[in-house]
Amino acid sequence: MIAELALTLLLLLSPLALGQTQIHQFQYQTDEQFHEELVVRPLASDHVNTYFQFTTRWHGVHKNLYHTQLTPRVIAEILQTYDVKELHIGLTQGLWRYETWGYPIVEATGGAELWAWFSSPNLTDDSVNKQWMRLANVFSGILCASLNFVDNTNSIAPKHIFRPQFMASGNRSHQFVRYATLPREIVCTENLTPWKKLLPCGSASGLATLLNSGYIHNTKYHSLGVKVRTLCDSDDPSNCLVELTQTANLVYDLKLLEQSNTDFSLRRLFGMGLNGYCEMASSSKIYVQLNEQGERFQLTPTPLEEVLSTVGGHNVLFGVYDIQQQFEGPGARLFNIAWIGPKGNSKREHTSPPPLYAHRYLLGNGQKHGRIATEVTNTHYEPLPVVLMELVPWYVHAYLHTLRISSKPQHLHEYTSNELKFSLLHYAPGKQRELPTHLEIGFMLPARSSALITIEVDYLLLKWLEYPPDANHGHYIGSAVIGSQLPIGRNYTALPLEGYLFQDSFNASQTAYTLTLRTEALIVSLPTPDFSMPYNVICLACTVVALAFGPIHSVATKLIIVERQTTIPRNLLRKVVHKLTTRFSQAIHQYCCQ
Amino acid sequence: MNSNYYKLLLLGGAVRLYFSQTSLAPLIGNRVEFATPLNSFKRLQEGVFLLQQGVDPYRGDLVHESPLLLKALSGILINYAQVLPLLYILLDLCTATLLYLLGITFVKQKLQQQKGECEDYAKDTEELQYNDEDKSHIAELVLLAYLFNPLTIMSCIGLTSTVLSNLLLALILYSMVKRQLLICTVLLAFETVRNLYPFVLIAPLILLFARRSVPMGIAIFMIFVTSCFAVAGANFLVMNSWNYLDGTLGFIFFFRDLQPNIGLFWYFFTEMFEHFRTMFLITFQLNATVLYLVPLSLKLRKEPLLLATVLIALMAVFRAYPSLGDVGFYLALLPLWRRCWKFMAHGFVVFTFFLITLSMMGAFWHLWIYAGSANANFYFGATLAFSTGQIFLITDLLFAHVKREFCLYNGQKIMINGEEARILLE
Repeated sequence: MIAELALTLLLLLSPLALGQTQIHQFQYQTDEQFHEELVVRPLASDHVNTYFQFTTRWHGVHKNLYHTQLTPRVIAEILQTYDVKELHIGLTQGLWRYETWGYPIVEATGGAELWAWFSSPNLTDDSVNKQWMRLANVFSGILCASLNFVDNTNSIAPKHIFRPQFMASGNRSHQFVRYATLPREIVCTENLTPWKKLLPCGSASGLATLLNSGYIHNTKYHSLGVKVRTLCDSDDPSNCLVELTQTANLVYDLKLLEQSNTDFSLRRLFGMGLNGYCEMASSSKIYVQLNEQGERFQLTPTPLEEVLSTVGGHNVLFGVYDIQQQFEGPGARLFNIAWIGPKGNSKREHTSPPPLYAHRYLLGNGQKHGRIATEVTNTHYEPLPVVLMELVPWYVHAYLHTLRISSKPQHLHEYTSNELKFSLLHYAPGKQRELPTHLEIGFMLPARSSALITIEVDYLLLKWLEYPPDANHGHYIGSAVIGSQLPIGRNYTALPLEGYLFQDSFNASQTAYTLTLRTEALIVSLPTPDFSMPYNVICLACTVVALAFGPIHSVATKLIIVERQTTIPRNLLRKVVHKLTTRFSQAIHQYCCQ
Repeated sequence: MNSNYYKLLLLGGAVRLYFSQTSLAPLIGNRVEFATPLNSFKRLQEGVFLLQQGVDPYRGDLVHESPLLLKALSGILINYAQVLPLLYILLDLCTATLLYLLGITFVKQKLQQQKGECEDYAKDTEELQYNDEDKSHIAELVLLAYLFNPLTIMSCIGLTSTVLSNLLLALILYSMVKRQLLICTVLLAFETVRNLYPFVLIAPLILLFARRSVPMGIAIFMIFVTSCFAVAGANFLVMNSWNYLDGTLGFIFFFRDLQPNIGLFWYFFTEMFEHFRTMFLITFQLNATVLYLVPLSLKLRKEPLLLATVLIALMAVFRAYPSLGDVGFYLALLPLWRRCWKFMAHGFVVFTFFLITLSMMGAFWHLWIYAGSANANFYFGATLAFSTGQIFLITDLLFAHVKREFCLYNGQKIMINGEEARILLE
């Protein structure tokens, strides 16, 4: 069992050495290629997933790396300046529901997420930290997102969970990774517009015309992604390949779109039909999933081509529309695809949850202590290796010694005292205002069971100016990232690592399918001070100090003297009278003496 | 040591043992009044766990115990976690015993001192002088005050490391009255590297041992400084890095953790304007350490133990992360000054202050953190009043001492022109 576990974990963590074959496969005829793709997948409970993918692949030699045609020049420059070899940015609103929707083609967490691999012979940890912040700042400008808030207080260097996807496997000591999330980030039109500007055709023509902000931001889930990878030939470092992938992943709720029935069309989803293809694109294609949820619909027009993809023993049938073919011949027109559902009462379709999914929530009450609980469920009939990464921000103290992994069989409701041992632990403690807590644990999750990972946390009181404008809204804890390797391809739609087009995922059976999941982000309410009274507090505290200072000062400096006890009356009124009469008599006395 | 002592000690142990078995113990361990970032048991456990995992505990922000103690406790915590409450209780009983012995020795020395001075005393001042009965009486009062003070009991069952600090302080005081210079200095150095503030106790130490010889004073100071470096070096050898200095002393001095406690720092620095922070930080730290050191040393140069008591008390009020365990410790020292009590005017006021503010603290904390119906100001108000009460107590003791000294030589009733006179400071 232990040997098996070690083997599986090793498999999970082994670097993916793919670069070599890939670079030779690449065709040298064209320097730059651009592909646009759209995937439409009806999901369970009347949801539709539309996934746009725009890929620019550019094979340039190192010297002319600035002479780009289709790739935005800013990307090329950044790769050069900051020694970035791989970059992932996600801007997401909403939560992907794994249990009913299966796995997304591209993973993303709510808010902004950014991770990058740096590699250069003379990089150090400190210089990478600096480059990382500059990189985030640049992309803050490019995407109009608050990525400039990414700094060392919320970034970590993941150790096990992320592997370089497209980097020559070489000296690992010169490879650095940084990861940060900004769960509070709100994604909106201001991000979509600059994102579209990175495309060769912009939003003028092609599939990108469908991305109208008025329709995109009404969806239940929308996620914009930018992914850049480079690969240089290990023999010839000037022979490089740059790949920029821009993705937009949307989930529509048909019930919200149209009250009466569940029919939908491109026009209904995006507000307009397709007006053509991007002239610069080598290919523009629309893939429509025909089986599973798609079986309920009739398509007009029917796809010219059908592709059956078998991934890990799981069959998926896609209809393919080649837009360039559709728009052959003269005449301006709009292209639309309609999905017509069955009339009458549609039966509730049964969906089986994917092999592995996760949830996260907070336990405990009050603004002082709490527990973060992450629940990972394995519905598969074999044990699965799981790696969990937590990034706990500095304003929450996590106690590692309280980390527990309790497990239960899937059919039970209560967690037993049965605890799982973690076989892998990486921990970097956090520091207030400086470093987040970074935790990675690996363990084997038994077949058909759930694991509840809990860790106790303290919520800190911050300085009054460190609270965001709406302090009682709460502070975010970013989502946990869960990595695993699935033996089966059910619900698995991600592209294989060496592929770059959606069609590369067809029939891409592997021995294991690398999976990363994101859980929900959490919101904690920290104790808040009263923001209105800094002056009062300063005055009061100083008064108390003065209360000590005064008497101690007089004890230390004054002499003891004996004074005649005057016959001062106790009564207040008489005291006043007494004082007045003595004053008066004194005055008379003085007057007389003169 | 009479049978009373054993009975009280047993009873004190039994009370602690009983409460450590109840559900009160984990509750107290999480209360901000008792467990501060410096002394909380949870953080100690975290430190031990991190050591076990091979992570440097001082890289993070949770562990502030000194490496030597952390290592020592890690051995116990890993192997005999069940007996740890028992160990803390035993240590607390040791503290009580030391304080009891301190009381006996102290009164003996006072009696001897009085024998030499009694010709100078005024006539009707017998009640201001220590007598033979006090030998057992005062020591028993000290024992009672330490063993059955709810503050020390709670602090013990909450497994706060204040228990260890109290033991060290009691050892320092006891070796002071026993005139054990070297032990005293080394222990003080150890406690200083742990908690920073106790270094002020070097003043009573020098007053006591140097006996007005300046070279001797300098020598003692040098011994102290050397042992501080030695302790720091020993800590370095344990961890093999200097990170711990920032994690312990730096953490105390720069006041990085704003978690509420019973002191004055937390809300003050929460609400502080950032550009004034450094100035006020230094001011407050000076106030907690050297501000009162020179004047009080001059004034109380003949009473080093009283100086030590007052300094420990001021430390408990003004330190960055005070806990109620510290308060319990200096309260137990008050019976030593039983002969001053006659002149302490605010006894009732202080008692009422303590009673009301301590009960309000718990209530306001609940309202702020759990019920959400109060805000931080309420709890801050309670801690402010509690500090005020403590300050009243300390200044009252000082005034009482000055008056007692005066009356001892001039008689309790001083007549001017046939009328009773008042004693004033001017």
